[in-house]
Amino acid sequence: MRGCKLLIVGAGAAGISAAAAAWDAGCRDILLVDRGIRPGGILPQCLHEGFGMADFGRELTGPEYTALLLTRLGRTGAALQPETELLSVSKDRIAVLSRRGSLEQLHFEHMILATGCREKSIGALCIAGTRPAGIFTAGQAQERINLRNQDLGDEIVILGSGDLGLIMARRFTLEGKHVIAVLEQEAQAGGMARNVRRCIKAYSIPLRCRTTVREIHGEGRVCGVTVEHLDSGARETISCDTLVTALGLIPDREAARGLEGSEWLSLAGNCSRVHDIVDSAAAEATRIGTLIGRQLSV
Amino acid sequence: MERFDVAVIGAGLLGCFAARELSRRKLDIVLLEAREDVCTGISRANTAVIYPGCDHKPGTLKAEMTVRANAGFDRLCEELNVPLSRCGSLMLSFGPRADAVLREKLRQGQENGVPGLRLLSANEAYRMEPALAPGLSSALFSPTAGTVNPWQLGIAACENAVRNGAQLRRNTRVLAMRTEDGSYRIETDRGVLTARAVVNCAGLAADRVQELLFPPSVRIVPTAGDYVVLDQNCAGRPAHILEYEPEKRGKGLTAVPTVKGNLLLGTTERENTLAYAAAECGLDRVKALAVRILPGLDFSEVIRSFAAVRPNPRSPDGSSIQSFCIEHPAERFWSLIGIKTPGLTCARELGSYISDRLATELDAEQNPLFTPERRGIPKPHSLPYEERKALVGRDPDYGEIVCFCEDVTRAEVLEAIRRGAVTVDGVKRRVGTGMGCCQGARCEQKITAMLAEALGVPESAVCKDGPGSEIVRAEHERL
Repeated sequence: MRGCKLLIVGAGAAGISAAAAAWDAGCRDILLVDRGIRPGGILPQCLHEGFGMADFGRELTGPEYTALLLTRLGRTGAALQPETELLSVSKDRIAVLSRRGSLEQLHFEHMILATGCREKSIGALCIAGTRPAGIFTAGQAQERINLRNQDLGDEIVILGSGDLGLIMARRFTLEGKHVIAVLEQEAQAGGMARNVRRCIKAYSIPLRCRTTVREIHGEGRVCGVTVEHLDSGARETISCDTLVTALGLIPDREAARGLEGSEWLSLAGNCSRVHDIVDSAAAEATRIGTLIGRQLSV
Repeated sequence: MERFDVAVIGAGLLGCFAARELSRRKLDIVLLEAREDVCTGISRANTAVIYPGCDHKPGTLKAEMTVRANAGFDRLCEELNVPLSRCGSLMLSFGPRADAVLREKLRQGQENGVPGLRLLSANEAYRMEPALAPGLSSALFSPTAGTVNPWQLGIAACENAVRNGAQLRRNTRVLAMRTEDGSYRIETDRGVLTARAVVNCAGLAADRVQELLFPPSVRIVPTAGDYVVLDQNCAGRPAHILEYEPEKRGKGLTAVPTVKGNLLLGTTERENTLAYAAAECGLDRVKALAVRILPGLDFSEVIRSFAAVRPNPRSPDGSSIQSFCIEHPAERFWSLIGIKTPGLTCARELGSYISDRLATELDAEQNPLFTPERRGIPKPHSLPYEERKALVGRDPDYGEIVCFCEDVTRAEVLEAIRRGAVTVDGVKRRVGTGMGCCQGARCEQKITAMLAEALGVPESAVCKDGPGSEIVRAEHERL
């Protein structure tokens, strides 16, 4: 059975930072695995700027930030293995890793889980109506538009004003699409003030607070949503051909279910708690990587 | 013109099983489906319960078939390689009136021949289901109740029918019918064919299909019901199916711990709705009844809600019909009109009922080549490590995970497509992609790309679930 001292799962900002820090702290046997084709996690699809201020002192796009993180990683001897899924972990510190053509058990001394977060699905909201095509999470839409060059629709309603929702409102606008409104059930936008300014106000995209979607219409493709104004209870139906959801992020630590609290396991970045900006997830992972790297160097 | 012995109209659960049971005989069978895939009409959504047979009056066909079907389900699922969970069910009572109903169900069930029925005291029931709400007065335990994945069962029956010689024609809608030289001449939007016999399993359209040739008899009133699904291993998930009839009028609540480990809650009854559209009041009612019996449920663990449509049969005078409507308006013409609960449980029995009668009418011999076995798509997730490793060694695609939530591999998705999936939901119904907590957010793009490649179409032509449900509007030309 192959083994390593430190297994890091997830090569996004947190995983890469943890690996580099652990190496710098003296750990010389590090395997960094990632399920994606390329490292960087969600960053490669984040074509917008806003990353790296804390870490590199300037505002970078997602791909630029990834490139700098990878340069940092490249100066270490940590091994990076992409397209690898962690299927399970057992209490005796054996990870089962799956990739094309290979299934293997791997023994490790310590594991840092840096698996990030996932988007809350619209399915969780119990919204009435049909379940047609044309409903995307903001991250799904971002991947399809930015990485796959796809045209998703023309008349867009965005449900949720977290940062991803705001960024996608701008993205769709820049793609020449009509963002009818960004709907937010709270009294103010969920995302950071700078994103409200840069992504919504700068493009005169209507942000409608205290509203939510109550019903989805459309047989094959979504053709509209019924919106409720939460304060008055009034409802109206808005025609649209695309519904994008930005309902919040949920730490994704499914692989470690039932193992939380084990002394050989650390959680770093968004899988421990969702950070507002990637830099702070990376900074947290760097701290954890340094700590664990020191322990494993002796 | 193509000639067949039997044309089965509609490839839902009933049509697939009718074709499968008919393929036991030496008959040329064609299974006509209007949509792009099988099990996409009313079979797309239901409560997924294999009922024990306590709910029907002794001596009725429903009672007799349900008890027989239930007893044969282990064997059926083994033959078709579909997982079955014999979790048992508890019918709950919170007061003297419901106690009396349970005693009556017990008596009825015993008379129907349901094995193992037991009336439990509240304490016994709490020992079996500690999360049940306080105030329980008694419960009827049916150890033979179970649950299956209905899509997998219907698709498996169809695959088995095809394996035994039936021909499946999808995207083929029946437009007109007439009799001609003792046969039925069936006009479809893909040409004309004749068949010596017709089995009408057209679901919501079954009344209209029969009326293409015969005067109206049974009318179908489409009735929607709402469902809520909670994540796997959710808090307060019961080990048994729970059935609860509130004192007031209305459909009761059924809580089903599914084969996959989710919790399915349903359902309601809303008449005259054709659309598979969930209603706010229905979803709210399901949740309200569910917490009444399982107060520990946490609805932040909901991952999906949806509506099913059931075909409620009505007489021409408007009165509702309680029995299975098996119509035989002319020789060699059989209709299953308005088969609702327990239609899933009895799908095979109903198919076999018609197959037996048609065999006599057509004087058909046994098919010596019939094999009841169908092999499912290998599921690495359920294999021990060494077996899974060997599978990956044989086919590298078994190593590549496509759906992270449900641990579904590229090889399974490709096999689903090879076996006939043409939409994202078609893949989902065969291998369970997109059924986890992220609801396809992380695998849908990969699956649309795989479908596009396998079907030789641009990704913008790939549908979620049938025509008009294209996911991507267009792909910009790459530079």
